[in-house]
Amino acid sequence: MESFAGRWPGTTRAGSMRRNPAAPWRHVDLLLLASVGLIALIGTLMVFSSTRGTGSAPTNTAILERHLAFVATGITVMALTTMADYRRFRDWAPLLYGAVCLLLLGVVSPFGTEVNGAQAWFQIGPVQVQPSEFSKIAVIIGLASLGAHFGSDIDLRRLAILLAVPGIPLALIMLQPDPGTAMVFVAITMGMLLVTGVRAKHIAGLTLVGLTAVVGLLSSGLLADYQKDRLTVFLNPAAGLQAEAYNLNQSKIAIGSGGVLGKGLFNGTQTQLDIVPEQHTDFIFTAVGEELGFLGAATLLVLFALVGWRIWRIAQLSRDQFGVLLCVGVLSMLAFQIFQNAGMTMGIMPITGIPLPFVSYGGSSTIALFAGLGLVQGVHMRRFT
Amino acid sequence: MSQRVESPRLRLGVLGIVVIALFVPLFARLWYLQVLSSESFTEAAEANRIRVVQVEAPRGRILDRDGTVLVDNRVSIVVTVDRVRFAELEDADRTAMLERLAAELSRYGSPATVEQLQDRVDDVRYSRYAPVPVAEDATEELKIYIEEHQELFPSVAVERVAVRRYPYGTRAAHVIGSVGEINDEELEERANKPKTYIRGNQIGKTGVERIYEDDLRGMPGQTVFEVDAMGDPVRILEDLSTPPIPGDDVWLTIDIETQALSEDLLAQALEDARNRRVSGDNLPNRGNAGSVVVTDPRNGEVLAMASYPVFDPADFVNGISSTRWEFLNSDEADKPILNRAIQGVYAPGSTYKLFTGLAAMVHGLRTPDQPFLDQGTFTIEDCRGPGCTFRNAGSKAYGTVDMRRAMTVSSDAYFYSIGADFWNNRGRLGDEAQQETIRTFGFGQETGVPLPSEQDGRVPTPQQRKAQYEANPELFLTGDWFTGDNVIMTIGQGDVGVTPLQLANGYATFANGGTRYAPNIARKITRSGSPDTIKRSFEPRINGRVEMDPVHRQALLDGLIGVTTRDGGTARATFAGFPNDTFPVAGKTGTAEVDGKADTALFAAFGPAPAPEFQVAIVLEESGFGGTAAAPVARALFDVFAGVAPMPVIQPGGALVEPPLEGAEVDDTAERPADRLGQIAEGGAD
Repeated sequence: MESFAGRWPGTTRAGSMRRNPAAPWRHVDLLLLASVGLIALIGTLMVFSSTRGTGSAPTNTAILERHLAFVATGITVMALTTMADYRRFRDWAPLLYGAVCLLLLGVVSPFGTEVNGAQAWFQIGPVQVQPSEFSKIAVIIGLASLGAHFGSDIDLRRLAILLAVPGIPLALIMLQPDPGTAMVFVAITMGMLLVTGVRAKHIAGLTLVGLTAVVGLLSSGLLADYQKDRLTVFLNPAAGLQAEAYNLNQSKIAIGSGGVLGKGLFNGTQTQLDIVPEQHTDFIFTAVGEELGFLGAATLLVLFALVGWRIWRIAQLSRDQFGVLLCVGVLSMLAFQIFQNAGMTMGIMPITGIPLPFVSYGGSSTIALFAGLGLVQGVHMRRFT
Repeated sequence: MSQRVESPRLRLGVLGIVVIALFVPLFARLWYLQVLSSESFTEAAEANRIRVVQVEAPRGRILDRDGTVLVDNRVSIVVTVDRVRFAELEDADRTAMLERLAAELSRYGSPATVEQLQDRVDDVRYSRYAPVPVAEDATEELKIYIEEHQELFPSVAVERVAVRRYPYGTRAAHVIGSVGEINDEELEERANKPKTYIRGNQIGKTGVERIYEDDLRGMPGQTVFEVDAMGDPVRILEDLSTPPIPGDDVWLTIDIETQALSEDLLAQALEDARNRRVSGDNLPNRGNAGSVVVTDPRNGEVLAMASYPVFDPADFVNGISSTRWEFLNSDEADKPILNRAIQGVYAPGSTYKLFTGLAAMVHGLRTPDQPFLDQGTFTIEDCRGPGCTFRNAGSKAYGTVDMRRAMTVSSDAYFYSIGADFWNNRGRLGDEAQQETIRTFGFGQETGVPLPSEQDGRVPTPQQRKAQYEANPELFLTGDWFTGDNVIMTIGQGDVGVTPLQLANGYATFANGGTRYAPNIARKITRSGSPDTIKRSFEPRINGRVEMDPVHRQALLDGLIGVTTRDGGTARATFAGFPNDTFPVAGKTGTAEVDGKADTALFAAFGPAPAPEFQVAIVLEESGFGGTAAAPVARALFDVFAGVAPMPVIQPGGALVEPPLEGAEVDDTAERPADRLGQIAEGGAD
């Protein structure tokens, strides 16, 4: 930890550290913390509800226990991230970035494990690690670092350098392939480029290139058929994509049948009878919708909006561009994942394997998200130092 | 503060707007799904959650008029193979499992081979999704064994199912009919019935089982399961489940003893006919088939309806084999499946004379007392050639006869002359005067008995003949109607065709004074388990009335009573010793010619005249003279009806404790009635 003494005008060396009004721990964004805490609580309940077993079978708490362990680890990581001065991550950026690129390279090598058609995991004992989740944070740090370095004057050469930062891990992720995470990368990059000094016409050009890339991706052989089906089924649910249409249909039924008040925790028939697939992970929003109803699901979205607003506010309050860009990166990531995930369960977005932040079951995602939140919190805490 | 870089506020603002733009559609969509269209999703979720399994209810019973149970249910242990699960097994496991199953089935008393089991499993007639029965009526020991070794028999299940039981064997089989598995057509027809059907359900296929299907079928119960995504049951939802309600009981008008007696008499009479030597150039009697019908002329109730040959309805339990089914429908076996009482169409022969005689009086062509000189033949006026002369049976001359006597001795010549007169007077009476009177007795139309596939018989007319010829000129010699057609119609020949039930019903209409009832086969329907709770009762149904001049009716009645009582009566010998004074029986014999076959023997009779309670009609195919072959059956029945012989008692399995023909011998000690009639000259149809 650095010494804060003397950095704040009016603070005397004789003053006690405990009295220092600029002390980072005095500037924790409690609303952000509380919102995320509530979201994680809802998430934990829903993970339990969708995995505790059906009917007369004994209650299964194995998934709940693992989820609690992930959340606890995530909170620890968040605390640790907060303790370090966020500006030091600027120095560590190349190291972190290099490390995740190596991990992503490793995961598509024979060391990686394939699950559901994507080679995205390392199997380490009983734990599966998904490097692409951590790579999002590394890319955010890397882009923020470079963006702060370039300042507001970004020409095409600098833009190319900036694009290369997410470009390398993105290419590796497409080798898995994992189009969902790739889309998150695109969202992060676009959000951060928007806030750096990239010119409007460049942004427009990039958007055009991005759209072309998506179309090209869908028509290329890079994606498995099931992935293309998942991406397009929401446009035409009646098409003959049995499994995907089933997922989407059951997902909508679960949410729709929840009504205004919901069926009550542990009382959702679609949830309790395992009718919606992947319900504790990618489709957990359906459990929220069914059991907690419009009131619960809207509350969750409001909490997410609150988180978004706080991060946006922290970006405005940040004392340096690096902090601004960190917040923008995390905000872009969260906003896109929430929109994409909840939108997918309600049939307005393609089906992709993106978790709902702080709600879905999944260790790598939870820990990486808390780490990102730690970065943002750090920016808030140190806005006077 | 000095290091603070100026925030690109505008750009952050744009980002904020983009983020808000992402959240707005989420809220909107959530509102749409959960508030605006929640109802339809709620229904869909409910349908997802539950599976309804139909539980078949036992069928109602079929009872005779006094409550004797003719059909009820028993439990059959059925071994089934689930084809979907069977197909999922490895090839080697399938073979091994079938080998084990065949061995255990054989060990526990249901012999089977691997090939037989494989054939059943492959049988395309079974629904792909319903378990295929591979062994029926298995033993309780086998059930226990398979259930205790379920791991050795994947895809095999042992179930108890209720199947039909027939305590009296084949008795009344044609009336009762059979049940079988519902087919696609029936399933479609009954899609909207409250008592829902699913594939594999049993349904009445023929007879009473079919006609009263809606009553006999129980209300299926429902077991409602909550299931998980895999469709595996999680629990039973008791408050949504309903128990099956057994079907209602149908009480027939049939009296099972009268029925059994009729059946035995029919079989015996046919056997006697087969054993009887025939004279001269007559074809030998095959005595292969026939029918006996007993009704109550006061209300049209059918007391007995026998058809020979018989089939065993138990053959249909658990599904009839195709070879058995083909046999029951084959000409070689004389189609035992046919209910000849309503599906056999026969030339009525001289039994028709009652109606043609009445027609002659109704249309003023004869008076009861008008004499006619019967010289054994009748020749059409102004007609030359061999086809112009018609002979009595055996060319026997009866001398001077009137309506009564002509009926009693069955003078063909007398009736031939009536037929000619009808034709000669067609300008005044019309082409179909004779047929009109005949039709008022229900001929040429279904009687309306509630049994399926009833035939309507034939009352030919000149117009019909013409229409038939014009439709298919190559099939008929001529489309013209000649005097001769009218002539032979008077004695029930030519194209005339009646069913035994029509014959009985026509006579009953005459017997009761002119009320033509639609015969009833059921009296009432009662709720299962409570015989006093009547759900429906079947009142007599009147199909028509015939106004008869009492003088005409009396003359004909006298003539019919003469048949059994007077000298020359064609059934007098058969009724020798019968208490005619206390129980007068009015009847008419018939001997109908059939191309290429021995004659059909007929007898229609009712008693006690003049207020009869019993109407009998007997038709024996290829059995010779009506008086010889058919009348003894009526005699034996009337012996019982008149109280001369005791009503035999039916035993479980269907046997009567007293041989029915012995019953007829109680006051006729020397001979059996059938034998005694050998020498009686029958004024048959020629």
